[in-house]
Amino acid sequence: MIRMMGATVALLVAASPVQAGNSLIAPGAKILVAKSALAVTPASEWNKLGARPGRNSESWTLDGDGLNEITFYGGIPDGRTLFREVDKRNRPLPKVSGTMLITDIPALLESSYRIALNTPLMSIDSVEPARFAGAAGVRFTYSYTRPDSEVRRLGEARAAMIGGLLYMTTYEAPALYYFERDLTAFRQIADSAAL
Amino acid sequence: MRGFFKSLVTVALLATALPTAAQEKTGNKPGFTLTPGTARIVLMRPSIRVGEQSTGGMFEPNADWTLQARDMLGRAIGSVQGQLGNSVVDLVEPVGADASALAEYQALFTTLADSVIVYQFFPGNRLPTKKRKGQFSWTLGPGVASLPGLKGADYALFVTTDDQFGSAGRKAVQLLAALGGVGITSGVHKGFAGLVDIKTGDLVWLNADLQMGGDVRTEEGAQKRVAQLFEGFPGRPVASAAGQ
Repeated sequence: MIRMMGATVALLVAASPVQAGNSLIAPGAKILVAKSALAVTPASEWNKLGARPGRNSESWTLDGDGLNEITFYGGIPDGRTLFREVDKRNRPLPKVSGTMLITDIPALLESSYRIALNTPLMSIDSVEPARFAGAAGVRFTYSYTRPDSEVRRLGEARAAMIGGLLYMTTYEAPALYYFERDLTAFRQIADSAAL
Repeated sequence: MRGFFKSLVTVALLATALPTAAQEKTGNKPGFTLTPGTARIVLMRPSIRVGEQSTGGMFEPNADWTLQARDMLGRAIGSVQGQLGNSVVDLVEPVGADASALAEYQALFTTLADSVIVYQFFPGNRLPTKKRKGQFSWTLGPGVASLPGLKGADYALFVTTDDQFGSAGRKAVQLLAALGGVGITSGVHKGFAGLVDIKTGDLVWLNADLQMGGDVRTEEGAQKRVAQLFEGFPGRPVASAAGQ
């Protein structure tokens, strides 16, 4: 019990955004994302959140991650998860495999979300081939609802396996108003992705 | 995918270095004013939930407490409704698909208010695009106008309260953390009241706090909470507000 309490304290301190600092992403400039060689050129301004979902990822938003969020995954290697474990002992996240097919990527995202958010209300709604970062990849859409909120969220993603590493970008927002509003801006960013 | 981590960030904002005074609690859209007796406001059904906060900080609902709070807060809101300076009428509750659409907007309002708190009201965590002088740009989108029961109204008033009383385990974590020199809160008592322009969906006024006072399960506590929720309500006569 004491150990669990200690872990809770450590987690709260580690999650502090105070040291993180959010920064402005200016439009028109090519920028490297997710501590990787993945580059994008946004046409409009965004905010980069100081807190990262994982080591090789980063998130951008306009109004806060609950209202709109783009996440970049910059070359996740074999044996690593998409984002930080939530409860590794009891509910470990699935890992990336260097030999994954592009059609395995939506299933990886789906199971990662179901476990991390502890919700059965997550589904992949469409999958189709599409180029991403100059490679043959996949485009897919998804939807989910968190257990602590009635807000239904929609998502769209582009991804590819390049040199055994997973490169992906996702966009998600509430189905009401927000998803449609910023979808074009996300697609422009996804189209600009290059290695 | 920071969704899961967001709740931790919110707790961390409360628990760590930021002093309470650093948090702003009210925001107004620039240029927005409301003259008494000029607007028709519809009060949406308040979103109220009450429960316990587990050792790890997760919410565990309590149906009895929630029912008590609905009753107490309903009465307390009713008693101030006539003193807000403008006509504030209860929404006629829709049924079927309309009820579902309404519930989605109420949930979106709570998400919006959460975002305003985390990314605007805490200056140290404010988004760069929200830092421009005098800016308060937040919206539910123009679809609000299509909600049933809002015809002829100017504004929709949304109210959310979320009370999580600290469990014994949570209080022990708080004590342990304090011994280690770390400040951690036990219990969450969130309250949001927001006025939305029905024509545009824009949030024109928000009063929100992650640590409101008043035990909403009691009559006196509910009155205290409602007084805090409507503090600074636009267009409210000063004398009446002071009387609360």
